[in-house]
Amino acid sequence: MGGYILRRLIAAVPVLLGITVIVFLVMSLIPGDPATAILGAYATPENVEKLNRDLGLDRPMVERYVIWLGNMLQGDFGRSFSRNRPVIDEVAERFSATLVLAGTSFVLCAFFGIIAGVISAVRQYGFADRLITFAVLVGISVPPFFLGMIMILVFAVHLRWLPVSGMYAIYGGGDLADLLRHLVMPALALAAVAAGVVARLARSAMLEVLRQDHIRTARAKGLPERRVILGHALRSAMVSIIPVLGLQAGFVLSGAVYIETVFQWPGVGRMLVDAILTRDLMLVQGGVVLVAAAYVLFNIAVDVAQALLDPRIKT
Amino acid sequence: MLALILLLALATPFLPLQDPNATATAERFARPLSPDHLLGTDHLGRDLLARLVHGTRLSLAMGLAAALLAAVLGSILGIVAGFLGGRADNLIMRGIDMLMGFPYVLLALAIVAALGPGLVNALIAVAAVNMPFFARNIRGVTVALAGREFVDAARLSGMGNLRIMAVEILPNVLPVIVIALTTTTGWMILETAGLSFLGLGSQPPQADLGSMLGEARAALISHPHVAVVPGVMIFLVVMSINLFGDGVRDALDPRLGAGAPTRPLPATVVDRTGPPPPSQAGHGALLAIDDLRTEFRIGRRVLPAAGGVSLSLGRGEALGLVGESGSGKSVTALSVMRLVASPPGVIAGGTVRLDDTEVLDAPLRILRGLRGRRVAYVFQDPQGTLHPLYRIGEQLTEAIRAHQPMSLQAARARAIELLRDVRMPRPEDRIDDYPHQLSGGQRQRVGIAMALANDPDVIMADEPTTALDVTVQAQILALLDQLRRERGLAILFITHDFGVVAQLCERLAVMYAGRIVEEGPTAEVLAAPAHPYTRRLIACVPAPGAGRRRLETIPGLPPPLDALPPGCAFAPRCHRARPACSDGEVVLRRTGMRAVRCLYPEAAA
Amino acid sequence: MSFRHPTRRGFLASGMSSLAALAVTGSVPGRAQAATPPGVLVVGQIAEPKALDPAAVTAVNDFRILVNLYEGLTRYRPGTLEVAPGLASDWTISDDGTVYTFTLRENVRFHDGTPFDAEAVKFNFDRMLDETHPYHDTGPFPLAFFFGSVARIEALDPHSVRFTLKEPYAPFLSNLAYPTGLLVSPQAVRQHGHEFGRNPVGTGPFRFVEWRSNEAVVIERNPDYWGEKAATEAVIFRPITDANTRVAEMLAGGIDLMVEVPPASLAQFRDGRFSIVEQAGPHLWFLILNCKEGPFADKRVRQAANYAINKEAIANDVLEGTATVAAGPIPPAFNWAHDDTLEPYPYDPERARALIEEAGAVGARLVFYVTEGGSGMLDPLPMGTAIQADLEAVGFDVEIRTFEWNTFLAQVNPGLAGKADMAEMAWMTNDPDTLPYLALRTEAWPDTGGFNSGYYSNPTVDALLEQARTSTDQAERAQLYREMQAIVHDDAPWVFVANWKQNAVTSDRVKNFRLEPSFLLHLASVVKD
Repeated sequence: MGGYILRRLIAAVPVLLGITVIVFLVMSLIPGDPATAILGAYATPENVEKLNRDLGLDRPMVERYVIWLGNMLQGDFGRSFSRNRPVIDEVAERFSATLVLAGTSFVLCAFFGIIAGVISAVRQYGFADRLITFAVLVGISVPPFFLGMIMILVFAVHLRWLPVSGMYAIYGGGDLADLLRHLVMPALALAAVAAGVVARLARSAMLEVLRQDHIRTARAKGLPERRVILGHALRSAMVSIIPVLGLQAGFVLSGAVYIETVFQWPGVGRMLVDAILTRDLMLVQGGVVLVAAAYVLFNIAVDVAQALLDPRIKT
Repeated sequence: MLALILLLALATPFLPLQDPNATATAERFARPLSPDHLLGTDHLGRDLLARLVHGTRLSLAMGLAAALLAAVLGSILGIVAGFLGGRADNLIMRGIDMLMGFPYVLLALAIVAALGPGLVNALIAVAAVNMPFFARNIRGVTVALAGREFVDAARLSGMGNLRIMAVEILPNVLPVIVIALTTTTGWMILETAGLSFLGLGSQPPQADLGSMLGEARAALISHPHVAVVPGVMIFLVVMSINLFGDGVRDALDPRLGAGAPTRPLPATVVDRTGPPPPSQAGHGALLAIDDLRTEFRIGRRVLPAAGGVSLSLGRGEALGLVGESGSGKSVTALSVMRLVASPPGVIAGGTVRLDDTEVLDAPLRILRGLRGRRVAYVFQDPQGTLHPLYRIGEQLTEAIRAHQPMSLQAARARAIELLRDVRMPRPEDRIDDYPHQLSGGQRQRVGIAMALANDPDVIMADEPTTALDVTVQAQILALLDQLRRERGLAILFITHDFGVVAQLCERLAVMYAGRIVEEGPTAEVLAAPAHPYTRRLIACVPAPGAGRRRLETIPGLPPPLDALPPGCAFAPRCHRARPACSDGEVVLRRTGMRAVRCLYPEAAA
Repeated sequence: MSFRHPTRRGFLASGMSSLAALAVTGSVPGRAQAATPPGVLVVGQIAEPKALDPAAVTAVNDFRILVNLYEGLTRYRPGTLEVAPGLASDWTISDDGTVYTFTLRENVRFHDGTPFDAEAVKFNFDRMLDETHPYHDTGPFPLAFFFGSVARIEALDPHSVRFTLKEPYAPFLSNLAYPTGLLVSPQAVRQHGHEFGRNPVGTGPFRFVEWRSNEAVVIERNPDYWGEKAATEAVIFRPITDANTRVAEMLAGGIDLMVEVPPASLAQFRDGRFSIVEQAGPHLWFLILNCKEGPFADKRVRQAANYAINKEAIANDVLEGTATVAAGPIPPAFNWAHDDTLEPYPYDPERARALIEEAGAVGARLVFYVTEGGSGMLDPLPMGTAIQADLEAVGFDVEIRTFEWNTFLAQVNPGLAGKADMAEMAWMTNDPDTLPYLALRTEAWPDTGGFNSGYYSNPTVDALLEQARTSTDQAERAQLYREMQAIVHDDAPWVFVANWKQNAVTSDRVKNFRLEPSFLLHLASVVKD
């Protein structure tokens, strides 16, 4: 298993490098440059040229990439001109915020998605099944940002149960309870779509598994039904659920872009959008590398989990 | 629903709608049901109904186009990667990994920013970010297909790679593509809304549902209806596409067979019409099955798999239940502990008594206590009947602890003991193996050990040796026989093999089309079968030690269960059949130890 | 007072457990967030500031914080765009308009205790302008060209400083009042270097407390301020990017003051719990017309466009009254330079049709560049859509192409030739000179480095603008600008659409708040109960 993880990690390196190349290429294809972004209406060619020189952007693309890569390998991710600070500081701060949000959402989507799917499968065609199926359809057809805004209106503006936005209360607060109060709405809004997808999948996987012979065996042994469903059927169903959970991580990260905007969550998703819009190449690079690395690690973790769960998979 | 929306979209140009782009800023944010605007107006005073209908049309077209584009590109990459394998596969999949490595919204954003504005570019962006999803899916399916025989055959016949991919692979992955297509179309529509949220929607004044929602966002608090109208429409569209997609999936996915999959309930449904019949087997039998009627109800069809079966089993007795596949042997055995998959199975009549206590109407809790403890099962295919993800030790201890509360260590010790009892070599090592690490015979020994775990009174052995090769078969039979003698087990041994019955059972019963047609002591029946069917069946089997005999076959096939002929079900295939055989119900006539369901039995001994 | 949360990072890890999240929040029923205490003003900003170094930033959003921390040599007289003494109590200008000598206010100290003196002034401008200055690398300083005309700065004595210009440059004093001219503590720059932007030190009525990235910038009353002390104890600036969320925070009481209220949401705040503050500013929203080629090369067609567009409807309906109809290239907020007799083009589709027919441009196809949003662009999409509908009503065939702001600038600034017939644009300036000088002169065509993306050219206008820029007499400048406005109005190189009235909403706990025409947000006198 250790060797397997190592092999996967090594295989991830070219992927990450490739991503940085893609980012460099795409960013160079986008019209507009950082100087224009900074100067706005004052972006005369003369001013732009001067500023580009100051920012070190007047060198050829390839040279800049090589310099960047060399620095990055030494742990220097460069300086973000749009945030006016080292990229690593900004990204690290923002990334931990996203991790809290996306991590919670991911757990929520996995937890509720699987529970809903299991209930739905066990009560197939029953009331609970129909209710869940409907809720899931609503969940997957409402854009996350829209759901988020509705939640703000209902729970923060009208009912005043929860704070509208931010990660901590702006005055006082800062403890765990404060964080959790701020986390509830964005995490749920972000989890909704993914939970819907997971629930749909969990339902069909459970239905599939419940028809298998080993479930009959478990029942013939006289196991309690709860144990048959949660122990035997769900365990088998997880084999097909887990890869989809891996995919959901990508969806959750993407959804975070919207949710972080709506809830003013100080996360990396919104930061990357802003960085792209301001053509802050260094920040985009730094953020993307970190996000991609996290994604790759997560996927390795998913595959490892899969291998641990299913002894038939060779690692 | 989808048809309605599609129709609406197609008919849009002919509907008497207002100009969707005519602005009248003074009439902005009119409420729904205002005189001129059924659904109200938006922030520029444009008619929402008109924009909604046009927007739906455009969104559907965009969603479908983007999904198709993504599907075509992704499928090509997926098939090529999956089929060629090796370096090409590696290269393509690493590329796909890169695309998936960062949030796709950012990718779409960058693509739109790079390509410039426009619906087509947005479409390309949405398609591009969804392509990896298709590529991954399709590759997985293709890899599985690439190793299959028909592909090898095509290769041997000299077909080029390109042709194999187009002619052999593509048709087989098409269902997967179509399923993925329908499930992503709705998603695509939502994504245009997302892009518009980030400020990169379609070009005004065009209305698509996504950008309508995006534009309405600014007025969400003050004029929610402007957002709700496209929101509800998106929901309807996505929902109907998803339902349609489910339908397509059910229709195309071969694994699911007809209709959506159903899962069996914890116990077979008992739906007995008449009062339970009195016991005919007489008191004192350990297990008494009387007039058991188990049906499969599939849609309107009713298949009587067990059409009034009566059997009894004494303590320590071994009864062989013999018949062709589909004759109802397994259903009879499974009905005892209500293990017939339900739906579609229903126990429609009869009783099952264990020590004179009726079990079919016992509550689930009681039934669960009987399963495994009094009546245990050994199934045919140990590969499928053991849980593939649990170590055999876990499965054994679980069985033990289901009825005997004890510590895990104690249960484990007992499990090792059980494995030793079933002659498992090196049980201490094997106990931590997974089923797939064992041979077929070893797995069946585990199955038997599991059945013995709680010292049951009855074992239902459902063709436990059929899947094994001959030497292993003999070992298992010997084992069962020995255990029966040592422990005083009663065994209901289901098989189609008279040789096995002869070896193990004192008594046998023969089933045909859901009914017992003959019953009696094994030696007697084998020596002088009374029912023509039994005779023919025995003639089919090369009896060990009886020398070489000409193997006979029975002409014709068993009748379909939902169209049983009147009278004797075997009559159409019987060389002795006379008109009377088909006239009416033929009863099982009992003489001494033997019984036969035949008007003109073979010359009895 | 402490605003810090020393333990928060520790919570990140434990925050991961969402089950705990549910359990705990479930047990805290219906508790809304605590209202902020009196004396602490929470301001909803539209974005996170880029930096708090006045020389390094360009966004109005950042200026709103800076003007409370820093002061410049000059400032705008409250309620006007006229220049008044700031940290310089007085100044003299040489007759040829090239030498400015400032007398500095005495007994002023930076927040770090270092004295404000002539050397500090010199340090500030040298840092920005002199590429060999040791702290020039704390930039870049994108708006340094505001002071591009400065040749030399000399500290004559601790309290007087002399600026020598390369040529007469009338907007100089006004530029000093602009946030780019705010003065920072040299000592702090030396100490923090690159990180000065996150550790600001100025002389203003508030001093910096902390900057929690993407959450808040906190400033508190400067007890040693040389002038009248600030009326609130502290101000917290919260970046809230999404306008809807900002509105929701305002409604929920999470912020006390918000700027740039989306027009459609204004109605929400008309219920007595809030007050709406409006102030016209030096802003112009216009359409650049391509005067070089296509239908708009003909003046009649340009005028027709001005007649065809219903500017009243845009200002009052699309923008919900948050703007007024623009008449010409100089916004009325520059009251001394604006020509009040100039009337906006009336909405007259008939007249427009007649002009189009006369010019033979019936059914002409127009490509219209629209942005998705951007600094000062208000609601560019709905406005563009409304304009498109108006132009189509008089017989044009208008195709909109939208761009994200940055791409848009990259498309428009190099000129519209060969690409488009018209483009949206908006400017906020601090001097009447800036916009026409950079965007209407012949020498300001894109190929010579200006913003005249529609290639308007009128020698008379060119001459008037050059003359107005070098005159140091305000009355004379005013006269020149008025002449220029009349000509440009008639030539119609642009469609003059709207002058934005910036708005803000305050809760009823906030008193004494006003907006300035300069778009700056001075909060020193604001009281919060």
